[in-house]
Amino acid sequence: MASGYLLTILIFTTMYISLALSLNILTGYAGQVSLGHAAFLGIGAYTSAVLSVRYEAPFWLAFLVAIILTGLIGTFLGLPSLRVRHDFLVLATMGINFVVVSVFKYVDFFGGAMGLVNIPAPTLFGITFRGGIPYLLLTTAYALFTLLICWYISKTWSGLAFQTIRNDEDASASLGVNPARYKIYAFGISAALAGGVGSLYAHFLGSVFPDNFVFVESIGMLSMVIFGGIGTLRGPIIGAILLRLIPELLRFIQDYRFTFYGASLVLMMLFQPMGLLGNESWVWRQITRWLRTAPQSRKEATQ
Amino acid sequence: MKHKLSFLLIALTIFSLILAGCAPQPTPTAVVEQPAQTEAPQATEAPQMTEAPATEAPQITETTVAEEPAAPSGEPIKIGFFSPTTGFAAADGTSALQSAQLAVKIVNERGGVLGRPLELVYYDDAAKPDQASAIARKLIEQDKVVAAISGSYSGATRAAAPIFQEAGIPMLAAYAIHPEITKTGNMIYRIGTLATTQGRVGAELVGKVMNLKKVAILTIDNDFGISLTEGFKQHAAEIGLEIVLEEKYPLGETEFRPIIGKIKASGAEVVYATGYYNEAANLVSQARDEGLEIPIIGQEGYDSPKFIELAGEAAEGVIITTDLNRDSERPMTRLFLEQYEATYGEKADMVGASAFDAIMVLAYAINTAGSTDPLAIVKAISELKNFEDVASGPFWYYTPEREVVRPICSQIVRNGAFHLYHEFTDEALVKP
Amino acid sequence: MLVLQNLSNALILACTYILMAAGLTMVYGVLKVLHIAHASVYTVGAFVGVLAFSRVGNFWVALAIAMLVSGVFGVLIYRSTYFYLLNSPRTVPLIASVGMFVMFTDLLQKPFLMGAYQRAFPAGGAGLPAIKTALFSFTPKQVLILLVAIILLAIVYLILTRTKLGLSWQAASMDREMASAVGINLNQSIAANFFLGSALAGAAGVLVGVYNNSVFATMGDLPSYKAFIIIVLGGMGSLPGAILASLILAIVENFLVASIGYVLPRDSIAFLVLILMLMFRPNGLLGRE
Repeated sequence: MASGYLLTILIFTTMYISLALSLNILTGYAGQVSLGHAAFLGIGAYTSAVLSVRYEAPFWLAFLVAIILTGLIGTFLGLPSLRVRHDFLVLATMGINFVVVSVFKYVDFFGGAMGLVNIPAPTLFGITFRGGIPYLLLTTAYALFTLLICWYISKTWSGLAFQTIRNDEDASASLGVNPARYKIYAFGISAALAGGVGSLYAHFLGSVFPDNFVFVESIGMLSMVIFGGIGTLRGPIIGAILLRLIPELLRFIQDYRFTFYGASLVLMMLFQPMGLLGNESWVWRQITRWLRTAPQSRKEATQ
Repeated sequence: MKHKLSFLLIALTIFSLILAGCAPQPTPTAVVEQPAQTEAPQATEAPQMTEAPATEAPQITETTVAEEPAAPSGEPIKIGFFSPTTGFAAADGTSALQSAQLAVKIVNERGGVLGRPLELVYYDDAAKPDQASAIARKLIEQDKVVAAISGSYSGATRAAAPIFQEAGIPMLAAYAIHPEITKTGNMIYRIGTLATTQGRVGAELVGKVMNLKKVAILTIDNDFGISLTEGFKQHAAEIGLEIVLEEKYPLGETEFRPIIGKIKASGAEVVYATGYYNEAANLVSQARDEGLEIPIIGQEGYDSPKFIELAGEAAEGVIITTDLNRDSERPMTRLFLEQYEATYGEKADMVGASAFDAIMVLAYAINTAGSTDPLAIVKAISELKNFEDVASGPFWYYTPEREVVRPICSQIVRNGAFHLYHEFTDEALVKP
Repeated sequence: MLVLQNLSNALILACTYILMAAGLTMVYGVLKVLHIAHASVYTVGAFVGVLAFSRVGNFWVALAIAMLVSGVFGVLIYRSTYFYLLNSPRTVPLIASVGMFVMFTDLLQKPFLMGAYQRAFPAGGAGLPAIKTALFSFTPKQVLILLVAIILLAIVYLILTRTKLGLSWQAASMDREMASAVGINLNQSIAANFFLGSALAGAAGVLVGVYNNSVFATMGDLPSYKAFIIIVLGGMGSLPGAILASLILAIVENFLVASIGYVLPRDSIAFLVLILMLMFRPNGLLGRE
C-alpha cells in the first residue's frame, strides 16, 4: 500500500500543521519563543520507535506513551524558562535541541548514529497503515485534534493567562496569574502534541536518525508559525501549508528552500510582524472587511 | 513606507541576482570551485530539475571510443537518481551526480540500452530521509523509472529502499553502507563495499602488509565510522593486533590536538582513523604539526582529491583502503578517471566511482535481461560474474545478501596524488 | 609536558573564540538583540579572505580586505533590517536575525558563491617563526593567531575606552533613549559599532580558515553558537568577561577531550554549560545587569 507522491506531500503537510499549531501554543500564546521544537518531535519519534522496535509494543501504546513522555520531558525542559527570558530563553531552547540530538547520537540505546530502523507500521483491526489514504486520515485526524486543543486553550482561562504572560509578564503576576505555572503548562502541552507527531512521523518513515531533528528543523517550524501569524489558529495552519507546498510546487524555490524561509521571516518581521494572517495584518484586514461587506456589496457601490 | 523599501530593494537585488546567475541552471553539474576561476560553463540541460538527459558539457574530449556504435533511438529508458546536492553532504552528492551523468553519456555513446537511450531522472534529497522517501514515490509514480540509484547517505537510502522494494523497482545503493539497506528485500543491491569488510581489510593491511602491531583507533561517530571500526577490530583480534587506544569523535570536528597528545602518549605504532576528507585533512595536518610521525591509515572517506588539497604536505604517506585504484590499467577505470577530469575539471573520487558503476551495472543488467522487467534485471545482477565494465572493479560476483565481492585495494599518497599500495584479492578476506 | 601543550593549544583556540565573541558582545551591548547572523559575517570574512589571498598572495592585505568587507556587510545588515526594528518588541529583531542567518547560509552554499566544497587557505604562518620551548611550542600558524588576536583586541579596547565613539556605545548600551537625548547620533554610532564588530568576526573567520586550512559555507555555525554561550558566560555586554569566558571554555573543552574523549560533541557540551549557567547564574561570571 505505497503512497502516491501527492499523498506523501499531504501526509507531511498535515504533520507539520500539527507541529506548527503545537509550537504556537508555546510561542504564540505563551510568548516563549522556542528554537528547539524539533527536539520534542524527536523525543516523541524516538520514544515510539524504541517501544515498537525494542519492546514490541503495539503502535497505539507507543503513540500514547510518546505523547505523555514527551509532555513530561517538555515540562521539565521548560524549567529554564522560569529563570530566563527572551533572548536567553531562545538560546536555552536552542541548547536543548542540540543536547537532545547529541543524546540520540551518542547513547547506544537509541541506536546512536545508526538510528533505529524497521519501525513497524501501525495496525488497527488488522489493517496496516503503512501509507496512503489511511495514513493521511490518521495524520489529519491528529491535526484536527491538535487544532481542537489549541482552540480550547485560546478560549479558556489558560488562554487568557497565556496572553497576559506574553504581553507583559510582570503585570500578569499582579493580576493573579502565576506566570511560572502557565509557562510550564505551555511547554508541557506543546511538547506533548509535538511528541504525538513524532510518533506518526517515525512510523511513517519506518526509521529515525538523530539528524532528522536538528536545529535547522526547529527554525523551519518557527518560520511556519511566524509566517502564518503568531498567536492565531489560522496562522500556523496557513504557514505550514504555504512553507511546505510552495517549494514543492515551484522548482526554483525548491533549490532555494531555506533562502525562501529565511527571507520570508525577515520580510515578515519588517512589514508584517504579526504574520500573513495575523490579527493586524493587511491580508487579514482585507479578508474580514470583505466578509463584512460582501452581503451588502450587491446593494452598495462604495464602502 | 519609504525606508522599508531599501530592504525590499536589497532583497529584490538578491533574488534577481539569483535569477540572472542561475537562469539556465538546474543542477550543479559542471561546477568547478577553484577560487580564481569564474563559473565553469553549465551543462546544456533543460531548465527543469527533473530530467537530466544525457547531453554533455561543451568541452568533452573523446579519448577511447574505437568504433562508432549506432546511436540509440526510441523511447528513453529512465533511471531514477537522488543525491544530496545541497546541504552538508553536497560535495559527495555532486560528485555522485556528475559521475552518474558521465556514465549515462558513455552508455549512450556505446549504443544505449536495448538500443534505446538511457535517461537519468534526478532529484536533490539534501541527505534527508523525508525528502528521499518523497522522491522515491515521485520517481516511481510520476517519472515511472525502470530502476533507481541512491547516490545519497545511509539515512536517506534507508528511507527510500522499502518504497522501491514494495513497488518492485530495483534500487542500487551506490555508496551508502548501512547493513540494513540490502536487507530490505530482493530488489535492493549495493555497489559500494560494505564498511565492515573494508574495516577487516584495514586490519589486514596494518598487520600483514605493514607488519605493525600497536594500533590507535579513531572512529567518526556515524554509521560509516562505527561499521569500519567494527570490521577492523574483528579481524584485528583474529591476527593478533593490539589496540592501545580507541576514541570516538564527532562528525565535523576540527580540533584534534588533545587527542593527538593522547595518541603520542599511548605508544601506538599506527593510527587507524575513520572519517571524511575534511576531518581527515585536519587530523593529518595537526598530527604532523604536533610531531606525530607514525603512519595514518584511512578509508574511502578520504578518497578524494580534496583530502590532498586540504592536507597539503601532511597528506604524504597516508594510506587508505578503497575501491578505486588510480594506477589501474583497466580500461573502464582509466576511462572514468580521464573523462571525469576532462568533463568537470577536477579529479574523481570514490563516491563518484560508485555512482558511475551503479549506472554501468544497471545498463549491463538491462541489456542482459533483454527487457525492463524488474525481476529479470535483478536476476541479471545476481548472476553477474567477473564484471569488468566498472571503474572500481572488477566485480567478481554478488552474494545472496546482495553485496558485491571484489578485490579491495589500498592507495598511498605520493607526490600529491594517490597511487596503488597493495591489492587485496583473497576472497575470504574481501567477502562481506 | 602534555598539560602545558594542551593549555597552549587552548590559548590559541580561545583567541579565535574571543574575536568572534567580542564582536557579538559589542553588537549586543548596543542593540540588545542576539545577532545570530553574525555567523554569516564570519563566513563571508573567511571567504573574502581566501579569495583575496589567492589574488594578492599577502596574508596581511587579505586580512585587511576581509575585515573591511565584513564590516561593510555588517553595516548593510544593520541598515537594512535592525535599523527599522529598533523599537519593536524584542522577539521581532531576533526572528529577523534568525531569518537572515538561514538565508545567508543557504545562499553561501550555492555554487556561485562558496559552493558545497571546502577550499584551502594556504597562508601558512605568514612567514612568522615558530616558538619552541622545552615545555610547550607554538607552530607559526599559532603564533600568527596569537599576534593578530592581541593586536585587534588592543585596538578594540582602546576604541571602547578612549574614544568618543566607544563612550557613545557605552552610553547607548545603558540607555538608548537617553543617549539619543544627550545628542549622540544613534544611527551613526550603531553603524560604527556594527562595522567594528563585524570586522572582528571577519578577522576570526580568516584566522580559523588559515588555522584549519579550510573555508566552507557552514563554518560559522559552531563558532557563533559558542560565541553566544561565551557572552552569556561572560555576562552580556562585558568584554573582559567575554575574554575570560573564552579562555575557560577553550581550556575546558581541551581538557575534557584529552581526559575522557569526545563524550558529547563540543557544541553540546558548550550548550549544556550554557543551560546550566542560565539556570543558576544568568548574569554570567562577570556580568553586571
